[in-house]
Amino acid sequence: MIRTPLVIVRAAGSAAAAIAALALVACAPPVTPAPCPPAVQAKVKDQLRTATSITCRTHRAEAATADIAVGDIDRVEALAAFPDGRTASVDITTDGKTIQSITYTHNDLVASSSKSLALMFWLFAFATVGGAVFVVSRRNLIAAVMGMVGSFLGIAAIYMMLYAQFLAIVQMLVYAGAIMVLFVFVVMILNRPEDEPVAPAGRAGQAIGGLAILYLVGRLIMMLVRVQPPNVDLANAAPLPTAQGHDWGTIGAVGTDLFGPGLFPFEAISVLLLVAVVGAIAIARPLRPGGDNAGDDNDPLAGDAPSHPEGGAA
Amino acid sequence: MSDLVWNIGYGHFLVLAAVLFLIGVGGVLFRRNALIILMSVELMLNAANVTLLAFSRMWGDLSAHTFALIVIAVAAAEASVGLAIVVAVFRGRRNVEVDRLTTLRH
Repeated sequence: MIRTPLVIVRAAGSAAAAIAALALVACAPPVTPAPCPPAVQAKVKDQLRTATSITCRTHRAEAATADIAVGDIDRVEALAAFPDGRTASVDITTDGKTIQSITYTHNDLVASSSKSLALMFWLFAFATVGGAVFVVSRRNLIAAVMGMVGSFLGIAAIYMMLYAQFLAIVQMLVYAGAIMVLFVFVVMILNRPEDEPVAPAGRAGQAIGGLAILYLVGRLIMMLVRVQPPNVDLANAAPLPTAQGHDWGTIGAVGTDLFGPGLFPFEAISVLLLVAVVGAIAIARPLRPGGDNAGDDNDPLAGDAPSHPEGGAA
Repeated sequence: MSDLVWNIGYGHFLVLAAVLFLIGVGGVLFRRNALIILMSVELMLNAANVTLLAFSRMWGDLSAHTFALIVIAVAAAEASVGLAIVVAVFRGRRNVEVDRLTTLRH
């Protein structure tokens, strides 16, 4: 008995709200999209340097097609497309001066639901984490270094999935190349008996190594056979890279940023590396030829030089 | 659940970086070999780099790539100096277990 009027009241209220909303929409001034002023386009282009196409929409109260005065723009929004397939919608103040927000729609490869890509991600994530666990859990130092190399290779692949191609290459060269060699050298210098290399031994190991070498040589030969002569017309027809038009994460894009805003850190890094080289040499060499450590006969570092020249350590 | 497995987003990369960083922290805290500690520091720096690049991609800002490159250079410098220290310590003491290096304790 009590409930029925309440329901009626609610229904009446909802209907009134719906009618009011409809009336509001009907009474609102007609909004017509129109192309954006060039200042807005320039602003968006300035902010999103890698965007390839920027389409703007201004919503205006009147459908005048002549030049757009600032006052009669209600809302400006821009859609920017990137070379990798992402899009972004940009919210701009009506005078085109400031960008209020940029919302990216993540429809790129990373965020897509491609199963093979997800599988690759899990594979490389497993390699990365497994290598890291290897580093902290092995007693054998060589095994730990090899785990670190596996982890770094996985990280390089993860960089690639984040569209950081240049950094992926740098990661492989610096970490899996140089730093790995450095660590292996130091492990060999320390030369503890349990740090034997963990290569597969015997006939099976030789067979595996031989097969791997044969495979690599074969692939190299196949690659060299398939080399095409350079097509001059194709090369000329390719779009020239500009400061705005680089792909994301390539050498060109990173270099533009590195030698533009990042020039001072770049130069400072060179000084840091020089200091590191000098410091490493100064720390690692023997202090004095006749000092407390020169009497060690089995010192693996000083063993090959029977007499240190006096000028060598000042 | 299947969405978590098959729909790779930026959170996955961030969680991976966090896991990597935690493994590095564990290596620094629980291992006593100076070489392992150096490797764990490298792992932590790489985890920071993965985070940088994921956020760079997320926000569409390329300057993090410059930052990551500088982090790699600093890591290389740190590794070379750290390994030099390890070699110098080993030359004098015949081991590189960090809990036996107690000269500066008193």
